Amino acid sequence: MNPFSQSVWFVPLYAVLGALLTLLWSPGLIRRSGPRPAGYVNLVLTVSGLVHSLFALREVWSEPVYLSVPWLHAANLDITFDVEASAVTVGALVVILGLNALTQIYAIAYLEMDWGWARFYALLALFEAGMSALALTNSLFFSYVMLEILTLGTYLLIGFWFNQSLVVTGARDGFLTKRVGDLVLLMGVVALYPLAGTWNYDELAVWASNVNLDPKVATLLGLALLIGPVGKCAQFPLQLWLDEAMEGPVPATVLRNAVVVSMGAWVLIKVQPILQLSPIAVNAEIAIGAFTAVSCAAIGLAQVDIKRVFSYATSSYLGIVFVAVGTGQSEAALMLLLTYAIAMALMIMSVGGIVLNNIAQDITFLGGLWSRRPISGICYVVGALSLVAVPPLGCFWGLATIANGLSPFLLAVLLLVNGITACSLARVFGQLFAGPVTDWTRRSPEGLWALVLPMMALLGIALHMPLILAFLGLLPELSLLTEPATLLMVLSSAVGGGLGLFLYTSPTISKPIVLPVPAVQDFFAYDLYTAKLYKVTVVAVVGIVAKVIDWCDRVVVDGAINLVGLLTLASGQTLKYNTTGQVQFYALSILIGTIVLGLILSFPILAAFSQL
Amino acid sequence: MLTPLLVIPLIGAIAIVLYPDAKKSWVVATVFCLLSFGWSLYLLSQFDLSFGGLQFVEFHQWVEPLGLNYSFGVDGLSLPLLVLNSLLSAIAIHTNRKDLERSRFHDSLILLVNAGIAGALIAQNLLLFVIFYELELIPFYLMIAIWGGKNRGYASTKFLLYTAVSGLLVIAGFLGTTFLSGSPSFEIADLQVQNLDSVPKLLLLTALLLGFGIKTPLVPLHTWMPDTYVEASPATAILLGGILAKLGTYGLLRFGLQLFPDTWELIAPVLAVVGTVSVIYGAMNAIAQQDIKRMVAYSSIGHMGYILVAAAAGTELSVQGAIAQMLAHGMILALLFFLVGVVEKTTGTRDRSVLNGLMNPIRGLPLTSGLLILAGMASAGIPGLVGFTAEFVVFQGSFATFPIPTLICIISSGLTAVYFVILINRTCFGKLDNASAYYDRLEVNDRWPALVLTAIVLFLGIQPNWLLRWMEPTTTSLAIELHRPAIARVAAIDTIHQP
Repeated sequence: MNPFSQSVWFVPLYAVLGALLTLLWSPGLIRRSGPRPAGYVNLVLTVSGLVHSLFALREVWSEPVYLSVPWLHAANLDITFDVEASAVTVGALVVILGLNALTQIYAIAYLEMDWGWARFYALLALFEAGMSALALTNSLFFSYVMLEILTLGTYLLIGFWFNQSLVVTGARDGFLTKRVGDLVLLMGVVALYPLAGTWNYDELAVWASNVNLDPKVATLLGLALLIGPVGKCAQFPLQLWLDEAMEGPVPATVLRNAVVVSMGAWVLIKVQPILQLSPIAVNAEIAIGAFTAVSCAAIGLAQVDIKRVFSYATSSYLGIVFVAVGTGQSEAALMLLLTYAIAMALMIMSVGGIVLNNIAQDITFLGGLWSRRPISGICYVVGALSLVAVPPLGCFWGLATIANGLSPFLLAVLLLVNGITACSLARVFGQLFAGPVTDWTRRSPEGLWALVLPMMALLGIALHMPLILAFLGLLPELSLLTEPATLLMVLSSAVGGGLGLFLYTSPTISKPIVLPVPAVQDFFAYDLYTAKLYKVTVVAVVGIVAKVIDWCDRVVVDGAINLVGLLTLASGQTLKYNTTGQVQFYALSILIGTIVLGLILSFPILAAFSQL
Repeated sequence: MLTPLLVIPLIGAIAIVLYPDAKKSWVVATVFCLLSFGWSLYLLSQFDLSFGGLQFVEFHQWVEPLGLNYSFGVDGLSLPLLVLNSLLSAIAIHTNRKDLERSRFHDSLILLVNAGIAGALIAQNLLLFVIFYELELIPFYLMIAIWGGKNRGYASTKFLLYTAVSGLLVIAGFLGTTFLSGSPSFEIADLQVQNLDSVPKLLLLTALLLGFGIKTPLVPLHTWMPDTYVEASPATAILLGGILAKLGTYGLLRFGLQLFPDTWELIAPVLAVVGTVSVIYGAMNAIAQQDIKRMVAYSSIGHMGYILVAAAAGTELSVQGAIAQMLAHGMILALLFFLVGVVEKTTGTRDRSVLNGLMNPIRGLPLTSGLLILAGMASAGIPGLVGFTAEFVVFQGSFATFPIPTLICIISSGLTAVYFVILINRTCFGKLDNASAYYDRLEVNDRWPALVLTAIVLFLGIQPNWLLRWMEPTTTSLAIELHRPAIARVAAIDTIHQP
C-alpha cells in the first residue's frame, strides 16, 4: 500500500483549495475579521501539502509510481493527465512546497500592513498549484497548460500593487512576453501530436529515439519547443519581463526567481530528447543560453536596483542551465537548479527585509548595515557563496560538474559568468553591508520573527547542502575536485569576488564607479536597450497595423457600405423631382420602357436575324 | 418533445403582457426562462449519445403545396446551442434591470427572441428555418431601437438592413437548392442535392456563405456588428453576440458543410483564409479601440474566425471544436458584455482612457473587476477556462488540414491577450480617481448572473468532456459525409493496388 504516493496528484489541489477558501475574505469579510486569516488558511494547506509530499517521497524513493487520469476526449483525441511520482519529481515537489511554505511565512511579515492578503495568498497558491502540477505531470500538454497558468499568476502577482503605473506596465510586459513563449510552445505541442501521437514524455523519448524526421520539420519543432522555456526562463531576447517583474512584492520575487522560472528549465529538460532531433535547435539552445548567461551577468553588474541585480543573476544562471542541458548534462542541470533555488531564495529574503524597512532598493543609497543587521548579512553572504562556485557549498558541485563537460569555449563562458556574478554579488555586499552608514540606513533593525525565521531555516539548509546532496546521492565523485576546470572555476570565483570586494569596500575608490566609456556602461545599465528593441519592432508593428486596420475598417469597409446607403438616398432624392404631374412625361416614360422591354424580349429573334 | 421549447417562451411572452404588475415582469420572465432551460436540460439528459442522427423528431404536414412542414429535430450540433439559448435569455433578463423602462415589453421581447432562435435551431424544414430566422429580427430591431444607446437609430437600421440582406441570400440559396435539384419538398431530409452540377452547387453555397457570413459575422461583412453591439443595451448585446451570431455559424455548418460536403471541401482553403483574416482583423481592430465595449465586439469577430477555420478544416475533431467554440464564445462574450455593462452603468463611461483603478476594494468594483479579468483570460484562451478547451480542440483539429492558417491563428490568440491586457490594465488596474469615484452600490442583480456564467466557464474549463461529449456522434457523421469523396478515392486507389 502506498497511500501517499497513490494520492500524490492531490498535492496541487491543497493550494487550489487554499485559493478557493481565500475567496471568502472578499472585501466584505475583511472589514470584520481583517485580512490575515486568509493567509493562515493558505499556510496551513501548504504545510499539509508539504507533509503529504514528504510521505510520498519516502514511498516512491525506490520505485516510481505512474498514474493517469483521463481529462478530455474528443473524436480521435484523448488527453490524460499523466502523473509520474518518482524520486526526482516528488523531490522537486518537496522543494517547491517547502519554499512556498517559507515564503508564505515570510510574507506574513512582509505584507504586515497590506490589505490585500487574501488576493496575495490566493495568487501564491495559484503559483504553488501550477508549479506542483507541473512538477508531477508527465505530459507535454499539461506542462504547457501549467506554464500558461504560471504566466497568468505572474501577471496578477506583478500587478499586485496595481495603483502604481510601473507595476501596471511591468505586469503587462511580463504577461505578454511570457505569452509569446507559451504560444510558440503551443504551436510545437499542436504540431507534435500528429507526428508522435502522444504527449507523454516517456513515450516521446522512445519516439524520438526511433523516428526519422525530415530535418526541416525537426528543426521547426525543436525551435518551437525551445521558445517556450526561453520565455519562461527569461532568456534572450525575452528576458526583459523578469526585470520589470521586480515591481511586485518581495515574497513573490523569492518564489519567481528561485523556482517559477526554473520550471521552464524543467520543461526544457523533459523535451530535450525531441530537441536533439535537430542539431540546429540544440545549437540555438546552447547559443541562447551562453549569450544570456554572459550578457545578463554583465547587465546585473551595471544595475543599481538591488532586485534587478538578482533578476539578471537569475536569467544568467538559467542560461547556464540551458547550456548544460544542450550539452547533454541534464542531471547536473537539475542539481544546479536545486542548489540555485535555495541560494537565490536565501539572498532575496535577506535583502527583502532591508528593502522593507529602509524603503530603498537603490544600492547606492545603502551602506554600513553589517553591524545593524548581522543576521541578514550572514544570510546574504552564505547565499552568495552558495550561488557561485565556492567549495563545498551548494552550486559549486553543479557548476563544477558542468564545467568539466564543456568545450573550451563554453568553459570560458562559464568562467566569465561565474566571475562576473561573484563580482556583482560582492559589489552588492560592499554597497549594502560595508562602507559608511547613510541617511537611509541609520535606523535599520532586523525584521519581525516571521521575516527572520524562514531566512534562518534556509540558511541552515544552504549550509547543509553538501550533506543533503550526499544523502540524495547527487554528490559527484570527489576526484572532480582536482580537475583543472574545477580549479579554474574556483579561481574565477576568487578573482571576481575579490575584485568586487576590493572595489566596493575600499574607501579610497570613489563611488559610483564610472567606466571610461559611458556608452558601454549605459549599454548594460539599460539592459542592452532591449526595451527599445521591442518598441521599434514588435510593439511598433502591432501598433501601426492595428491603427491601419482600424482606419481601413472605418473608412474603407464601412465607408463602402455607407456610400451605398448614400447613393440610394441621393438617387431617390434626385428622382423625386420627376414626379411633376405632367401626363405627357409619364406617357413618354411608359413608351421608352415598353420599347426597351420589347427589345430585350425580342433579343433572341434579333440575334437569329443577325446570323442570317 | 421539442415543441415545448417553442411554446414555453411564447406563452411566457403573452403571460408577461397579461400580468398586472409591470414592475414584476421579470419574475414571470424568469419562471418561463427557467422552465425552458430546465426542459432543454431534460432533453440533454434524454439525448442518446450513441446516435449521430436527428433525435426527438416531430413531423406534421402543414402547408403541403408549399412544401412547408412542421418538422423539428435536434442533433449534437443544435441541442447544446438550445441550452445556451435558454441560459443566456435568463441572464439577459437580469442584466442591467435598474430603472429599466417599459420592462414588460422588454421581457416579452426577450422571450420572443428565445422562441425564435429555438425555432430556427430545431427546424428541419428550410422554409420553417427561414421563417424563424427572419422573425427573430423584429424583436431584436425593437430592442436595439428602444433600449439602445445614443446612436441607436443608425445602429438598428444598419442591423436590420444587413440581416435582411442575409435573410434574402439565405432564402435565395434555399429556393435554388430545392428547385434546381428537383427536391420534392423543403424538408432537409428530402433534399436531392446530389442531383446538382458542380457550378450551381458552388453558386448556391456562395449565396448561403454570404448570407450566414453576414450574420456570423465574417470580414468583410461585419460592419453592422460593432455598431450594433455597442449601441445595443447589455441585455440585447448578450443575446446578439451570445446566441444570434451563433445562428450564422450554425447555418454554415448545417446548410453549408452538411448539405454541400463536396463543394465545401473544394472551397475550404478559401474559407480557411477568410477565417484567418477575420481572426487577425478582429484582434487588430480590438487593439485600436478606445471604447471597451467596442473592443469586446471586435474580439467577437476574431473568435468567429476560429470557427470558420475549424469548419473549413472539416475533420471530426475540428468540427467538434467549432461547435465547442460557439458555446464557449457564447458564454464568455455574454459574461464580458454583462461586466462591461455593469462598468458602464456604474461609472458612466466606456472609454478606456477615462476608466481607471476599478479593482480598488473599497470604492471601486472589486468583484466586477475580478470577474472581468477572468472573463478576459477565458477569451484569451488561458487554460482552465472554457475558452482554452474550445480553442485547443479547434487548433488541434484544424492543424491536420490547414497547418499554416492554424499556426497563424495560434499566434493571433496572442493578440487576443494583448487587447485584454490593455482592457484590464486600463480599467481594473491603475489608480482610482478619488474625485469621481462615488459609485452606486451594486445590486444583487449585478452580481449573480456574472457569477453563474463564471462558474460554468470555470467548470467546463476544468471538465471539458461535459462540453464536448454532446456533439461527438453528430460531428463524426458530418466529417464522414465531408470526406466521403476522399475516402472513395483512397478506396479506389487501394483496389487498384491490390493484386
